[in-house]
Amino acid sequence: MHTPTAWWTLPGVASLSFGRAYPAFLNCYVYGWASCAGFGAGIWLLSRLTRVPLGSPLFLILAAVVWNIGMMTGVLSILGGATTGRELLEFPIETAFILFLGLTTISLWAITTIWNRKPAAMYVSQWYLLGAFLWFAWMYATANIALGTAPGAAQPAINWWYVGSLVDLWLTPIGLATAYYLIPKIVGRPIYSYRLALMGFWGLALFGGWTGLTHVIGGPLPAWMVTASILAKVLMLIPVLATGVNFHLTMKGSFGGLRDNLALRFIVTGAVIYTVNSFVGSIISTRSIAQFTQFTFVTVIHSQLGLFGFYSMIAFGAFYYIVPRLLNRRWLFDQLMETHFWLVVVGLGLLLVDFTIGGLIQGFGLEDPQIPMIAVNDLLEPFLAIQNFGALLLVVANLGFAIAFILILLISAPAKERPVAIEQSNEASESTEAEVSVA
Amino acid sequence: MNRITGLFFGVFFLFGISWLGLVAYPYLTFAGLRQSKDDATGALAPMGNPGTATQGARVYAANGCFYCHSQYIRDKDEGNDIDRKWGTRRTVARDYMFDQQVFLGTSRLGADLTNVGVRQTDPQWFYRLLYNPHTMSHEVSMPAYRWLFETREIQGQSSVDAVKVQGALAPPPGYEVVPTSEGKALVEYLLSLKKNYPLPEAPEATE
Repeated sequence: MHTPTAWWTLPGVASLSFGRAYPAFLNCYVYGWASCAGFGAGIWLLSRLTRVPLGSPLFLILAAVVWNIGMMTGVLSILGGATTGRELLEFPIETAFILFLGLTTISLWAITTIWNRKPAAMYVSQWYLLGAFLWFAWMYATANIALGTAPGAAQPAINWWYVGSLVDLWLTPIGLATAYYLIPKIVGRPIYSYRLALMGFWGLALFGGWTGLTHVIGGPLPAWMVTASILAKVLMLIPVLATGVNFHLTMKGSFGGLRDNLALRFIVTGAVIYTVNSFVGSIISTRSIAQFTQFTFVTVIHSQLGLFGFYSMIAFGAFYYIVPRLLNRRWLFDQLMETHFWLVVVGLGLLLVDFTIGGLIQGFGLEDPQIPMIAVNDLLEPFLAIQNFGALLLVVANLGFAIAFILILLISAPAKERPVAIEQSNEASESTEAEVSVA
Repeated sequence: MNRITGLFFGVFFLFGISWLGLVAYPYLTFAGLRQSKDDATGALAPMGNPGTATQGARVYAANGCFYCHSQYIRDKDEGNDIDRKWGTRRTVARDYMFDQQVFLGTSRLGADLTNVGVRQTDPQWFYRLLYNPHTMSHEVSMPAYRWLFETREIQGQSSVDAVKVQGALAPPPGYEVVPTSEGKALVEYLLSLKKNYPLPEAPEATE
């Protein structure tokens, strides 16, 4: 993605040029895959936890259709050059409105379902899900509306408030809700500490909305705003540690399960990456270090690790756990899923090493006024080559996942014994179907 | 009484604080920014941009220039942008008060463009770069933006905007390569990127 002049990027075709293909990719990734997987997992988790049968699946199916229409028109707009020019808010306002319709439908369903829940006590996952569905609708609406009329320097503030919140208060809580449900479920032991879970949740809710402005350290905004963001990013370690320790102590004694249970392996890997990546995020957000990292590949790999290493890993695990129970079928070819896991691990590991070293070289080069820009980019050439290879591994991994998913949908025969409860939310499979097309 | 009321309230309240601080506050305060007036000369700064430059900003957005180019200068203690001669002072909120759209950017695979209109004043330089970046320097990693140009038959005099193209890309005899209206607007926009006027809140950096 970062070698825009290579022959295979078809130079000369406007709609496939780097400046359009890159945002199209990013939006597909975040709204097409991550958010849809989040909707699917969220709907399933809520149905299980609240014990409320899905009364009218029509609403949710409609929401999924609307969302995907929005996605299609949005991506085509970007490729055609009709973009707002704001990172992760590139979709034109009409498209954003379509997406918002789909989103509010699902959010309203989530809130009413939680309201009507059968067990009075709320499990940790439900807190996260309630927060996530409310926050996402709120941030998406405000950012799109406010940015239409915001005066000059307020635009980056709002834009980066949105991006920070999107990661920390939409994707992160969905991922954590899934992990909080599936880890105890698979290892067969309750979550270690209720207090740690509380701390993790409220800490995230408190700091999550503030982290985004660490992307523009040294930018034309009042110093207190950026400082507040850096502070939030560092303090975020408190909820991250609370959550990480909680997962670890819940897992303790069951680490052998990682070998046999693929879903558990994906989820635990994702949870570990979450903890580690948050530490990295805090470090590269401090002013003295950001000076060297903020315009480089280091920040790129930090967000990629969050999106793929943490969030998508948990989403994969959720698919591997949920889909057989929804369809009452078995995954075919264990070897395929095993390969999927290792390709992701090797691909991401390669990208991590490559981006980190390349990014640091880039950062120190940029900060040395004696080295001309072109020489800095020259140093990056070998790293870009390795990066293409690493990305290719991830593409193959995702293809493997897509094939496994198609096979279980179309070919796999129903299992003889019903695995575990399948009674509820069978309808949610409708919305999961649409998701994999962009996976 | 449903027990989720407290949760609802907390979820709204905590996120609301960040919303007030990072959305509502800048929205309201930056709308109140005024130009600065130089005491000696009475000159106002910053000045608004011409209309074509605003159209050019749309082309800048459509082609994703801001995914590789940033548009802000950090203060001396936060980076070496000033040593790199990308600007003589840091940029502040007031610098962007007339911009319909602000492209701060987060990547510097390309050079910072805050003051590119100061460094390069010749439209022809930009046309050549956009049409074929490799003529400027062989190693440059910027892609070509040839859809911002058209090849047409020379009508009488050749156009003042005609791009001087040599080698394999040269147009056939009697034809010339000229920027489209989008290409012209984009270059107009790039030429307008000048934040070299003095502002009291951002004094020139001293050694």
